[in-house]
Amino acid sequence: MAKLEEMQEPMRSHLANLPCPTFGTSPWVSGPPLAQRRVAIISTAGIHRRRDRPFEGMAGDYRVIPKESTAKDLVMTHLSTNFDRTGFQQDWNVVFPLDRLRELASNGSIGSVADYHYSFMGAADPAEMEDAARRLAGLLKGDRVDAVLLVPV
Amino acid sequence: MGALAHYLEAEGVPTTQISLIREHTETIKPPRALWVPFELGRPLGLPDEPAFQRRVLLAALDLFDLPDGPVLVDFPEDIPEQAAGAGDSLDHMACPVNFPSSFKEKSDIERLLSAFRSEVAELRSWYDLGLDKRGYSSVAYFKPDAAGKLLSDFILGEPLELPSDISSPAAALRFAAQDLKAFYFESVMSRPDLTLPTDEAFNHWFWQKTAASNVLRLIKETCLASDDEQLRMTGGMLLVPLDQA
Repeated sequence: MAKLEEMQEPMRSHLANLPCPTFGTSPWVSGPPLAQRRVAIISTAGIHRRRDRPFEGMAGDYRVIPKESTAKDLVMTHLSTNFDRTGFQQDWNVVFPLDRLRELASNGSIGSVADYHYSFMGAADPAEMEDAARRLAGLLKGDRVDAVLLVPV
Repeated sequence: MGALAHYLEAEGVPTTQISLIREHTETIKPPRALWVPFELGRPLGLPDEPAFQRRVLLAALDLFDLPDGPVLVDFPEDIPEQAAGAGDSLDHMACPVNFPSSFKEKSDIERLLSAFRSEVAELRSWYDLGLDKRGYSSVAYFKPDAAGKLLSDFILGEPLELPSDISSPAAALRFAAQDLKAFYFESVMSRPDLTLPTDEAFNHWFWQKTAASNVLRLIKETCLASDDEQLRMTGGMLLVPLDQA
């Protein structure tokens, strides 16, 4: 369970004491109904294409995952040992639901699936990810994305 | 995760997210978030359950149709109880060797590495069969024999042979350890005498019953005693989970 109060020590304190940023503003961007939106996934699971460079440090960098990717194309090099990886090893959709997203596009629940999706290594300091995230915004707009689904691990 | 949402939304890109730690999301206040009561590593809840995953996905995406925010909504379903007892069925796979609590004697280390090699060899055929059947593996950089060799070489103080795209011994040890665990799990997945274990049962077996876990704990101790800062960090945080240390 990912309920802090149900976790065992020392994991509970480790997570409870992680610093979280706060912001003075609450940006909110409106858009068309879900059925018309173009959706991209951004994962923080440290996944990437098999031949792409692994996540070796905490630099806040990202990797690109094209929409044609399948389970066999992706590997995970997240730093942490403190989360389950057997789910991903059985079925990538439990971490990176690209197959599910394709189904939602096929049945009209969403407008379309973006051409490119992205992955960070979530143990990095969020401040280290800021520049990359702001640059990603331009790439997402270029891909006509108007709905980003962020998926942690 | 919430910070990424804030940065993107501030740049004009609408976001929604899944939240695994509600307390973190309450602090960061991203524009749209769906908290799910699942364990870390499984944000969509259950592997090989497309209908369940689809409900989670749609619940997160439906937040786009709300008029204003920030919003933090709880997903109403928990995962069903998984079959109990699967962990017991794994125990007979472990090598029947009792290892000492520390490996100070050379003979103890040799006995451990011998048991480790035997364990890897026995699991290898099931891994290979699974690989043939699925057509892929989540093993990323170190095939089983290569992972075993790198980890054994480090323990023995031998020079390490690093793949060209991995820059440091610390990173190589971490990737080899993760690949070794993936290899063990995929071997278990393929065996005809086992039901697929829960992650909790698999982790219990791996960390409490296998020679491999003793190898990783010995590497952890060796890293912690190193002069190399990266190795000390790897030994301290990145080889053995906090709940198995």
